[in-house]
Amino acid sequence: MTVTRDPATAPAPDGVLGRVLRGPDTRIGLVAVPVGAVLAALVVGGVLMAVEGVAPLSAYGEVALGVVGRTRGLIDTAVMATPLVLLGLGIAVAYRARVFTIGAEGQYIAGALAGTAWVTVGPPLPGVLLLFSGLVVAVATGAAWAGITAWMLARFGASVVITSLLLNYVAAAGLAWAVRVGIRDPGSFTPQSGPIGDAALPDIPGTTIHLGFVLALLAVPALAAVLTRSRFGFRVEVLGANPEVLAVNEARPERVRFAVLALAGAFAGLAGFVEVAGVTERMTPAFATGYGFTAIIVALLGRLRPLGVLVAALLLAGLTVGFDEAERVFVIPSTTVGVIQALIVVFFVAGEALSRRGRR
Amino acid sequence: MTQAASLRGIRRSFGAGPAALDHVDLELREGEVHALLGENGAGKTTLMRILAGLDRPDEGTVEVAGQPAGEFSPRALRERGVAMVQQHFTLVPTLTAGENLALARPSGRLRPGSRQARRRVEELAERYGLPVRADVPVDRLSVGEEQRLEILRALDADARLLILDEPTAVLVDAEAETLLRVCRSLADDGRAIVIITHRLSEVFAGCDRVTVLRRGAVVCAGDPVSGHDRASLATLMVGENSPHRNAGPVPHSASPTSRHGESDVSARRLGHLRPEPADAVSLRLDGAGRGRLQPLDLEVRAGEVLGVAGVDGNGQFELEELLAGIAAPDRGSVTVDGTPVPVGAPRERVAEGIAYVPADRYRRALAGPLTLADNLELGRGDRHRPPAARRRARVEPVLAEWDVRGSGPSALASSLSGGNAQKLVLARELAAGPRLVVAAQPTRGLDPEAARMVSERILAAAADGAAVVWFGAELDELFAVADRLIVLVGGRATDPFTPPYDRGAVGLAMAGGLPA
Repeated sequence: MTVTRDPATAPAPDGVLGRVLRGPDTRIGLVAVPVGAVLAALVVGGVLMAVEGVAPLSAYGEVALGVVGRTRGLIDTAVMATPLVLLGLGIAVAYRARVFTIGAEGQYIAGALAGTAWVTVGPPLPGVLLLFSGLVVAVATGAAWAGITAWMLARFGASVVITSLLLNYVAAAGLAWAVRVGIRDPGSFTPQSGPIGDAALPDIPGTTIHLGFVLALLAVPALAAVLTRSRFGFRVEVLGANPEVLAVNEARPERVRFAVLALAGAFAGLAGFVEVAGVTERMTPAFATGYGFTAIIVALLGRLRPLGVLVAALLLAGLTVGFDEAERVFVIPSTTVGVIQALIVVFFVAGEALSRRGRR
Repeated sequence: MTQAASLRGIRRSFGAGPAALDHVDLELREGEVHALLGENGAGKTTLMRILAGLDRPDEGTVEVAGQPAGEFSPRALRERGVAMVQQHFTLVPTLTAGENLALARPSGRLRPGSRQARRRVEELAERYGLPVRADVPVDRLSVGEEQRLEILRALDADARLLILDEPTAVLVDAEAETLLRVCRSLADDGRAIVIITHRLSEVFAGCDRVTVLRRGAVVCAGDPVSGHDRASLATLMVGENSPHRNAGPVPHSASPTSRHGESDVSARRLGHLRPEPADAVSLRLDGAGRGRLQPLDLEVRAGEVLGVAGVDGNGQFELEELLAGIAAPDRGSVTVDGTPVPVGAPRERVAEGIAYVPADRYRRALAGPLTLADNLELGRGDRHRPPAARRRARVEPVLAEWDVRGSGPSALASSLSGGNAQKLVLARELAAGPRLVVAAQPTRGLDPEAARMVSERILAAAADGAAVVWFGAELDELFAVADRLIVLVGGRATDPFTPPYDRGAVGLAMAGGLPA
């Protein structure tokens, strides 16, 4: 039996999703559709608030003020955007290659968990070394977690969408176990890990934004350079365009898929431990907040481009922070932001389909 | 015998080129097995798709059982009792045989129970002697079973006229024999059976009358098979040897006026552009085989153009993939200048100097959504890529040299016309002076001017010392470019033909008439 796989029979990425996410046909569509989707979602969100008896404009004004009207709002936005940027970058690379993983949440949890375990119950290392080794462990674990999906794809042809999604639940269950049993802080009544102590990320001098935000900002041009200037980035593009052309002329698609998934997992793992080291400082059952899913919206709105991811992450983080603030003034539940996020996706996909149909 | 169907003055053209069918008449009788014979692209399938209602003619009339077929839809013709088993099966792979039958002819609103569905298949299978496993999904059936199921589905709809498109192409010999027997018994029940084929042996084994199409025209209208022999049918299929060629894209190496005969063109090319091929064997196959392709010994010298002729599905594709390093041989070896062809390692293939010009450009050679510059970079270039502007600047002279007419290096490959797309492929594959060129139907679908240039470029690569293996669908083209020619039939290669080529002999070999 030959092990050479006919590229034509290799598992095809999901067609419809691919067509929608492949990106714009024109430069105008590049920006117009995401912006339009956000505006439309805000309008519908405003209608919902009006139904609730809240004046939408003043509510949105309060949301905006909650972000830009006070230092705390900007800080919170930066802090919340940090994991979204990192997660979104990884997802963007995968989707460019038309590898539609939705396992970022699980990789994020797995990375954070492994990193925390390393720094809380692992060998006692001095401060900076502890932080760095924790980051390395988290990155490796995130990549390995995504590697499970890659392996199941290569070995069994299992759908990336399904396996990556289901592994999220495995990771969540792992988190629940770990904080109750595995790495539980013996001195605590509530289920949680011990504090990470010296492994905490320092703040940017003069602010209360942790250094992870700088890391996320640096990751944007770094990834952009990888995508446009490296052979790997080229292969990602070719894989996204046509796997068989890749197989015949450049490299084995399986390997590139593996690398792409591992990279996405590495970013997710990094995001996870950065969140622990910069914000929560220990693992709790509440650690899984769904950033891994929000980051899909981030990648999508950012048009799978690193800079776009940064902008989209800041936007979504700002919305969340703003609504949290507005909740204190108006009687609107802060979960309205979830509705608006979901609407953004709906309008984005619909707008994309419409703009394509117009050109046929 | 009464008439089952008749087609009169059928004309059908696709796009700008010559008509696929030009005023074709065909008459089918009840109780006969009728062979429809012709080369690839002769129009056999197009004609039968029109009869089956899958396509509509530009001109002409179709009558089925004496009734003019006004509406061309699969349903309308199925109701008249016409069914076609296409070359590419149209079953739902995840459903069982019974479910597929039920899908084609629903017996009610509800999906039939599995037992009921199975019984239906078994009854039909029993009645017509076409065994099919009823309770496993279709994708686990063998090809033979799938085909029998296709036929059962047609019979289930009580088809009085059954069209089989190259039914034996996917079958082993014993299965093919059985199928022909079944066709005979179906005809004896008063049905009309049409078998589209290019295999002469089948025509003689199981058919009553034969119609031959050549380039969209009837050259033999329903003659009794007994009045022909292999040689006469082969000649009808591929045409006479004639100094005057009416072929469309006939490539040549010198000016258009220098076309005389095949051997002449060849000799001219050899004399003018390069010395006689050196004795150095460049490409060597030692008993290499894979799948349908039987173990093959072959040697191609540097500077030589080997033509590979044959009807699709006789092993060309397998040979192409072996030479291009897409698949490993099941047995034997394929070497270029003594080095095995790297398998599944495209960059190594490129480094070894093996150029691959696949038949399906947008499936294998070019990524449509990427730019011309990116496409030229496939399989080449370093780990680090220069900035985009420099990448674009670098390919501009290449595009000019190879006459790729598009809107510059940043244009998308999908925006190119067929000819320019192929020139882009050549620009990439031939630029570095390859040692082996694997060219599969390199001029397919191109206008004559583009075809001429593509041929010239490939011949120029040969002149520079590359061994060229040219898979062709057009005999005229192969005769003009090839120094030697082999025919693949049933996975075996004939002894090489040499110029001057004998059309009749090559045609006979393609139809399986010569001992391979």
